[in-house]
Parts: sequence; structure tokens; C-alpha cells
Amino acid sequence: MNMTVGEMLKMMRDPLGAPFYPPALQVLLIVTWVLHIFFVTLALGSSLYAIWGFVRPNENRLRLARIAARLTPNAVGLGIVTGIAPLLFVQTIYDPIWYASNTLTGFWSISFIFVVMGGYSLAYLFYLKGSPDGKLLWSAVASFILIFFAGWIMHVLAAVSIRPERWIEWYAPNGIVDTRGIIFHAWNIPRLVFLLPLQAGLSLAVALTLLAWYFRHNTDDAPFMQWVAGVGRQLGLVISPLYALTGLLWAATEGVEFGIGWQTGTVLGAVGIALTVYFLILRRPMYDAPRTLLIWIGTLLIVGMVREAIRAVSLARFGYSVASYPYIFDWGSILVFAGTTVVGVAVLAYLVMVIYQSGGAKRDASISPRVDRLGAIATGMLGAWFGFFLLVGLYTTLFLK
Amino acid sequence: MYPIWEGLFIHSAMYVAVVSAFHVLASHLTVAAAWFNLYLERRAVYENRPELYEYLRRSALGLLVFAYVFGAMAGVGIWQTTTAANPRGISTLIHNFVLYWGSEWYMFLIDVVGIIAYYYSFGRVDPKTHLRLAWILALGGTGTLAIIVGILSFKLTPGLWLDTGASLNGFFNPTFWPQIFMRFALMFPITAAWALLIVTGMPKDYPERESIIRNAAALGLGGLCVALAIFIFWYYPVMPEHAKIILRTRAIPPITYTVIFAGIIATFAGLLFAFLSPRRQRRLLAIGAMFVLFAAIFGAERTREVLRKPDIIAGYMSSNQLVFNDLPARNIVREEQRLNETGMLGSLPFLPRPEQVILPANSGLPNQTIAIGRTLVVQQCASCHNVSQQTAITAFNQRLALRSLADLLYLRRATTADLIKSRIRAIGGFQYMHPVIGTEEELNAMAQYLEYFVQQVHPSQTQTVSQK
Repeated sequence: MNMTVGEMLKMMRDPLGAPFYPPALQVLLIVTWVLHIFFVTLALGSSLYAIWGFVRPNENRLRLARIAARLTPNAVGLGIVTGIAPLLFVQTIYDPIWYASNTLTGFWSISFIFVVMGGYSLAYLFYLKGSPDGKLLWSAVASFILIFFAGWIMHVLAAVSIRPERWIEWYAPNGIVDTRGIIFHAWNIPRLVFLLPLQAGLSLAVALTLLAWYFRHNTDDAPFMQWVAGVGRQLGLVISPLYALTGLLWAATEGVEFGIGWQTGTVLGAVGIALTVYFLILRRPMYDAPRTLLIWIGTLLIVGMVREAIRAVSLARFGYSVASYPYIFDWGSILVFAGTTVVGVAVLAYLVMVIYQSGGAKRDASISPRVDRLGAIATGMLGAWFGFFLLVGLYTTLFLK
Repeated sequence: MYPIWEGLFIHSAMYVAVVSAFHVLASHLTVAAAWFNLYLERRAVYENRPELYEYLRRSALGLLVFAYVFGAMAGVGIWQTTTAANPRGISTLIHNFVLYWGSEWYMFLIDVVGIIAYYYSFGRVDPKTHLRLAWILALGGTGTLAIIVGILSFKLTPGLWLDTGASLNGFFNPTFWPQIFMRFALMFPITAAWALLIVTGMPKDYPERESIIRNAAALGLGGLCVALAIFIFWYYPVMPEHAKIILRTRAIPPITYTVIFAGIIATFAGLLFAFLSPRRQRRLLAIGAMFVLFAAIFGAERTREVLRKPDIIAGYMSSNQLVFNDLPARNIVREEQRLNETGMLGSLPFLPRPEQVILPANSGLPNQTIAIGRTLVVQQCASCHNVSQQTAITAFNQRLALRSLADLLYLRRATTADLIKSRIRAIGGFQYMHPVIGTEEELNAMAQYLEYFVQQVHPSQTQTVSQK
């Protein structure tokens, strides 16, 4: 154990290296995290609104609470599915820190999924059996607590991972190993508040404006949808300054700890202020919802980069960098991934368009000829993917020696 | 290389097993159910049988909530549990196959977004569009299967990867083809049980009830027979000799085979009964069938995991998370040889040097050597064995622990440090065990800890732990 932290991190890297240029995987990590955090925070936000709507009901609030109750389990499901991609990439280029934090916090790492399952089940219970009549409110509250707790676990795993200089002291105090993995070793409250509750409010705010926009042509519902969009704007307006303030606190604590306090403070503060100004000047929240979504996704991308910067500088202290991570160009991997990406994007685009075009109608929604054509092509591509897969497999089995 | 998480109350490997078995049940269900639903929906469209939509709608809701979402969560659960239990094993897979997993993720997204589109668009889009969604679900699900089988089968049969280091060789390995077809066939009995579960929950006078039960049962019986035939005539013959030997050793407890065979027989009998007497089917029977399948899958998946013992990646990495063979194609040099010379302590990041071990009064351990021995035993043995009281529970006066070293040594009358040391020195001679790594002093320390552990669990032993 006389080895330095830098030597330790280097030794812990997988000897196989990455199968592709690591900075490209780092970009994929950030981009897919944005997608993931959007759905996770949306789940938290909608869960909280569903509770609020039933606790302090009026006609509009109750109606929106029921919509939120329906949204929550779906957002949890999408949050889980979209979480797989960043999980893949973080393991590839940050394997030493991800695996160390997961083993040091082993019990909570494996509890995570049971906590999420519990949160999801209770959210579904409330949506199906509780939300029509306002019963089973406890299940909504318990669901929110569990989903938030799952977020806390992930937060701790991230916090532990960027402090490798303390791992030995946590794992083997006085040289005696602790293999229980039950202690929450590290956290940063401003970071947690910034990333979860505040972003939950903002994701919900954006989603509300989008909901109103989606039903903008439904004249019967116009007053309600105007109200929903207004709630979204108000929510954004109230939370954005807090977002700026908490961002500054995050910078003043974790940012300063790793020597990039003023840089992170400037970026996070500026993002929060810009959002505040945006919501302030947003006069038509319903009609400008797509732009609001774009701005929010852009914001999340910036936050993702700040997270990445903190991770990078924390590890740079010990000479670890993604840019110097060993790699090869594994052509088999690249071929399969590239082929599947083309097919996957086409099919997903079609599915999203079907949901979009059919969602507004009670029945007999019309799918446009263009989307229908896309569907025929995408389904054909998906079928052809199996031919591609088979060919690659046969080539490998018969010729690649 | 990494800190060890032993587990808490339950051994870490058992967390992996339970989550994996559930994931297999759910994920296999999504694939075959998608094909079965496609078959029914085609009949609904082309034979003008709109009553079938009621079944499809209920099945889809169940699949959306149970199979897709819980299946997805259990999938993430496998990541979390395997990461905590054996990080270097999963690391090898990820560094070989991250982009294959990325490809599977697309298929998985198609599945999840697809089932949302499929369920919420019932009656909202025209039948042809809805049928196309059914096609996408069936194909997307099969895509996830195709990709994950390559990664799973790699662990037992890395094949030419050990020579070329190329991911394609590892992916399309010797057991890939039989396993993909075997799993595909095996999914249909699960789907049949699911169809029974859904349709028995529908009104008794539902006109398509008997037809769906018969169709599902026939498909399930066919799938079961095909899967067994593939196992016997294709999969088993290409299994490595080592794995065939393991199948006949005590590494796999007899109860596992009992569960698997009983599960197969019960499934066959249940499906035959459903086929012959569709009117007599009850929901309770269907729920029972799902539990039987879960138990059988649990046994089968556990067996599949044990088959490659003592390796985590056959021929490359052993269960102690160390690389034991060179891989020249990727410039990888075995790690174990060096550690036998330098010793484990201080040579790996989370193994403190002896002089760094300062025993506090409340440690619960009698002396420093035993504390050091515990660290080494945990490092080398905890992946497969219960090595401390931390991962044992007592129920009805019965101590439940996974392959407890205390019990195994006690049974073999190796209860003193000397006997234990000669035992562990020779342990590599067993087909399902890997040689212990380390210097002579380290073996001594391990033996002393194990003596202490045996006496903790079996205090009737007269020996006392010497304060060496």
C-alpha cells in the first residue's frame, strides 16, 4: 500500500482498454446522461406535483395531479432505460472509480434497484387505484421518498468515486477491511439539491408547457391548458433563481475542493440567471414550449459538462485522464454499433412519431403518410438488421480466425 | 484489485442470482410474448376477429408494467449486483463488449418505447399501423436476445478470443449459436404461462379464451421440446469438457438438478393439461406455473454460472478477479505469477501491508495475523464462499450460508491451521477450485483465520485459537 493514488488508479484500469477512442465515449456519456437525468428529474417532479395536487386540491390542480400521477411511473421507466447507456460508458472509461465506489458502498449499490422497484410499484399503484378518487395518497408519498432515496444512493456513489485519496481510509481503517458496504462515505448537499429537487422542478415546468403545447389545438380544453402552461412558467420563474444560488453553493463547496470554484460558479450561476431571465420574458409559455425544451436540454448539457469537469479535475490530481486511457479500434464493435445505431434511430423516430400523432386523439388518430412511410422503411430496416447480424456472425464463425 | 463487498446477511453472489433469475424470466417473456401477440394480432386483422384485441390489450398492459419495466430494472439490477460482487469480471465484459451492449440498448429502447406506443395506441391508430408496432416489438425483443446471448456465452466459451483478442471472436463463440436458438425456444413455455395468467383473469364467457389457451399451450409444449432437443444434441456436445466434468461434481448441489427437472416436468404436465382441458384452467394454476418457471430458471442460471468455475471468464480470469493467462493479442500479461512472488499484501491496491494492520480493541478479531488472514481470505475466496458470519443467517436453528468455508473445512475434518494450510495449498487440484495465491506467510495467515472461522461456526471443537 505504499503505492500512490495515481499508481493505484492506473493499476485498476482494465488491461483490455477501451474498444474505441475514449473521448468519444466521454461525449456519449454526457449526452446520454442528459437524456437520463431529464426523465429521472421529471419523475421526481411529477411525483411531487401529484402529491401537492391532492393535498391542496382545486379543480385544475386535481386534474393536473392525475396527469402527473400517470406520468410518474412512465418517467421512472424511461429514466431507468435511459440510465443504462451512461452506466455503460462510465464503466468503460472510469472503471477504477465506478467499481471502487460501488464496492465501497456495496449494500446500497445493490439496494438501489429494489428501492427503484418499490418506488415504481407504488407510483403505479397510486396512478391505477388511487389517483382517480384521491385515495392511497400514502403510496404516492412513499413512492416519492423511495425515488428520491434512489437518487441519493447514486449521488453518494458519484461523490465517493471522485475522492480516491480517501478510499483506503474508508475501506480499511487501521488496515482492517470493512466489507459490509453500508456506510455513506461522501456527499455534497448543494450538488444533490441542485441536481435532484431543483432540476425536478425545472423538468416538470418544461413538461407542463409541453403538455399545454401538445393540446394547443383542442379548443375545449384551452382554459385548462393555458393554466397548465402558466403553472409551468411560474414554476420555472420561482426555481431558476434558487438554481443559480444552489449552483453557486455547489461551486463554493465541491468546486473549490477540486480547485475549479470560480469556473463552475460562473457557469452554474450564469445558467441559473439565464433561465430566470428566460422564464421572466416568456410571454407565451404554451406556444414557445418547444423552444423552452431546447433551452432546458441545452442547460442539462452544460450541467453534464460541469459534472464531467469536476470528475476530470478530481482525477487529474492523480494523473488520471480519459484522454490517456488505453484503447484499440475494435472493428467488430464499431461495425455492430454503427449498424444498429442507424436502424435504432430510424425505428425510434417512427415510434415517437406514432405516439405523438396518436396521443391527442381519443380514437382513430390519423398517422400521416410520411410517418407511415417511415414506419415501413424502419420496420424493414429492423428486419434487415437480422440479416446483417447473421452475415457478421457467419463471417466470424467461418472466416475470422 | 478492488474492495471486496462480501454481501450482508446474504452472500453477494445470491443477490446476483436472484436478480438475474427474475430478469431472465421477465426479459424472455417480453421476447416470446411479443411473437405470440403478433401471431394473435395477425389473426385479429386478417381473420377479422376483433375480440382478440381485448386479450392483447390486457397482455400488453401486464407486459408494460411487469415484464418491460421490471425487466429493465432487474437488468440494471444485474449491473449493480455484479459490479458489487465481482467488478473485474463485469469489467472484462464491458471492455470487450461495451458497444455491443450499446447496440442492445437501442433494441431495448425500441422495446420500451415500442410497448408504450403499442399499449397506448390500441383503438387510436388503424389496425395495420398497430400490427406494424407488434412486428417492431417482436423484432426488437429478438434483437436484445441476439446480442445478450453473445456476451453471456462468452464467459463460458471465449473461443478464439483467447488467441485473437477480437471481440467478434468472443461474441460469436462456440456456444453462441446453440444457446440463442435454445433460449428462443425456451421462451415459449414462459409465454404460455403468461398467456394463461392473462386469459384466466378475463371473464369466463370471453369467446377467445379456449383458443388462446390451446394455442399458447401448444406453442409452449413445442418450445420446451425444441429447447430440450437443442440442449441434448447441440449445446451439450459443444460445451467444454471442463464444464461437463463440473456438471457431475459437488459444485452443483443435487437440489439444483431436482428443481430443474421437477420444473421441466411440471411445466410439461401443466401445458399438456392446459392444451387438453382449456376450460379447466384457473388463475391460481397460472400463478403457480410462473413460480415453477422462476424456480427452474433460477436453478438453470445458477448451474450455467457454476459451469465455468473456478473461472469468471473461462481461460482468462479466475473467480478471485485476477488474470491467470496471458493474452498476447491484447498485450496482457497474467497477474497471478507475479503475486505469488511478491505476495498479495501491498501489491494490490486494497490489500494493506502487514505493518499497516493495527488491531483496535473492538475489532472482534483475536490477533493481527488473523486479521491479515481474514483480508486475504476475503480477497481470494469471498467471491464464491461464505467466509465470515457477515453473510450467514440463522433460521429455525439452521445456519444458512453459501458454500461456507467453515462448514466445508469442518466436514473434511480440516479444523486446525496446519490441516487447513495443507488443504488450501492443494486446493488447485480440485476441478472447480483455483490455486490459492500468495507467499508462505500469507498462506499461514489465511489458515489461521480459517481455523478461527471454523471455531466460530463450530464451537464444539476443542481447539482454541492460539494467540500466535
